[in-house]
Amino acid sequence: MKLAIQLAYKNLIGAGLRTWLNVIVLSFAFIIIIFFNALLQGWSNQAKEDGIAWDFGYGHILNRNYDPYDAFTIQDGHDIIPKNLENTTPILIQQGSIYPDGRLVSVLLKGIDTNQDILKIPSAKFKNTTAAIPAIIGKRMAESANLKVGDEVILRWRDKNGVFDASYISIIDVFDTTVPSIDAGQIWLPLEKLQKMTNLQTQATLFVVNKNYQQNTLDNWKFVKQKTLLKDIEDVIATESIGSAVMYLVFLLIALLAIFDTQVLSIFRRQKEIGTYVALGMTRPKVVSLFTIEGTMHSIFAIIVGCMYGVPIFIYLNQSGITMPDFAGSMGIGLDKAIFPVYNPSIILLTILFIILASAIVSYLPARKIARMNPVLALKGKLQ
Amino acid sequence: MENHIISLKNITKRFKVGEGEFTALKDINLEFKKGEFAGLVGPSGSGKTTLLNIIGSLDSPTEGQALVMGNDISKLSHKESAQLRNHHIGFIFQVYNLLPVYTVYENVEFALLLQNYTKTERKKMVMEALEWVGLTDMADKKPDKISGGEGQRVAIARAMVKRPEILIADEPTANLDAENAHIILKMMKKLNKELNTTFLFSTHDEKVMKYLNRMVSLRDGSVEKDEIIAKEAYM
Repeated sequence: MKLAIQLAYKNLIGAGLRTWLNVIVLSFAFIIIIFFNALLQGWSNQAKEDGIAWDFGYGHILNRNYDPYDAFTIQDGHDIIPKNLENTTPILIQQGSIYPDGRLVSVLLKGIDTNQDILKIPSAKFKNTTAAIPAIIGKRMAESANLKVGDEVILRWRDKNGVFDASYISIIDVFDTTVPSIDAGQIWLPLEKLQKMTNLQTQATLFVVNKNYQQNTLDNWKFVKQKTLLKDIEDVIATESIGSAVMYLVFLLIALLAIFDTQVLSIFRRQKEIGTYVALGMTRPKVVSLFTIEGTMHSIFAIIVGCMYGVPIFIYLNQSGITMPDFAGSMGIGLDKAIFPVYNPSIILLTILFIILASAIVSYLPARKIARMNPVLALKGKLQ
Repeated sequence: MENHIISLKNITKRFKVGEGEFTALKDINLEFKKGEFAGLVGPSGSGKTTLLNIIGSLDSPTEGQALVMGNDISKLSHKESAQLRNHHIGFIFQVYNLLPVYTVYENVEFALLLQNYTKTERKKMVMEALEWVGLTDMADKKPDKISGGEGQRVAIARAMVKRPEILIADEPTANLDAENAHIILKMMKKLNKELNTTFLFSTHDEKVMKYLNRMVSLRDGSVEKDEIIAKEAYM
């Protein structure tokens, strides 16, 4: 084995440009796989962190009648806030409509405690306003409804008895978040104000809990763990991973095809050399392993070359992040202005193993032919 | 019988050619003793190379028995025949077949890498072999930087470095000019005497024939004549 590695190394170095072309192509595939995995990991981490900071906290306590995926449950999915419920902040959700520029836009009204500090939603801004009904909205909502700070817009809602009411609300702040689930189509109001408007005093639809929350059984309420809430993000990332995997598999296949081609050509061109190895006393399986190692060694070189130019790029991108285009935020997925790739050692190790294994297989397939070669014909270079 | 390093009994070799068969060797019976400097001579297609390939365990006979150092070539596995070649048989080819990416030193060392010699032992043996052929100062050169005559001398050093009992040379002077051919043949003759290696040539080069102690003439796959030219050497 040691001999085969030494010989393979010499043969590859001796092959010159042909070797390095293959190595460079394969190193691109290696770097692209690592980079896209790191990008997805960075996106995943960022989306989860932002999701926790802006929406999920450390879990939700939902009213049993409320299903976040069923709009028909909003009307009745609320109840009296239980006493002594610590380390939580209540949120009341109701439906309404606004009429910006004369258009009807359905919205979710969300009441949030002005003193809460579990979520990053700037609810404290409600304290310093004299507006009758102050409202804060996210950037996406502001863009879609053409609203800005200082604007007033008519809001129509129904109270608990189904009676319609309407009033102007004042936009006192537009916040920028990567989390669309608290932004698009939503208007945030002071909790007490919304309770009063809807005649649902002391009621809430859900609670967001902080990390000190001790889970206990509450009648009519159910606790949803943070992990469950994050599952949607994980599903989106998993879907994106599959899409990316297809792309980098194409890259890898191109690189492996180059190795396969080189092997086939090499075995055809080096028949006399193969015959000489056999004549000098090498067994045919040893010659097969020599050629297989030669092909596989392309991947080792590719990893080394890839590291040489990839590591500095990775370090730079890790520090500066990758700037996302302006339209990324309106795609309905949690993308920040910049994504910071996260390099997972296990992914890197798996990628290395995968590339080595794949190149070993494509190197072995043509090399098997050597085992069936007639050394006499090989020495004459007469094999087809 | 025990003195014969090579014993060929009723060797016939047929090759498939399209739907039919071509008989390259017909009922060959030959024996070679240790230390012979013998040549298989004859025109192209007479079966010289085929016979050498069988003796070198690169091929096996269709019929008959080829015993090389007591090993029946037809019964050897791939591994056993590789071991036989590695330890006991050296090859010299018409076009030298040097490995292009290795230096002269590495080409000669290659045969020893397949055996269990230490690096120091290998160095000693390689330098000794290069000294035999007068190429110690070219050890670091690649095959494309040396002449044809020098290339064939490297091939001799590579074949002889492991001190094989048998050296098979297939048309070793065919690509060389007269001067280089004589240098090569004198060198081989000297090694034959000093190391008592059995040299077997295939050739139709008259320059080679002058050096032979025994000449086996082949025609159409059969032995036409088997002459001992220098009896003292043959004995």
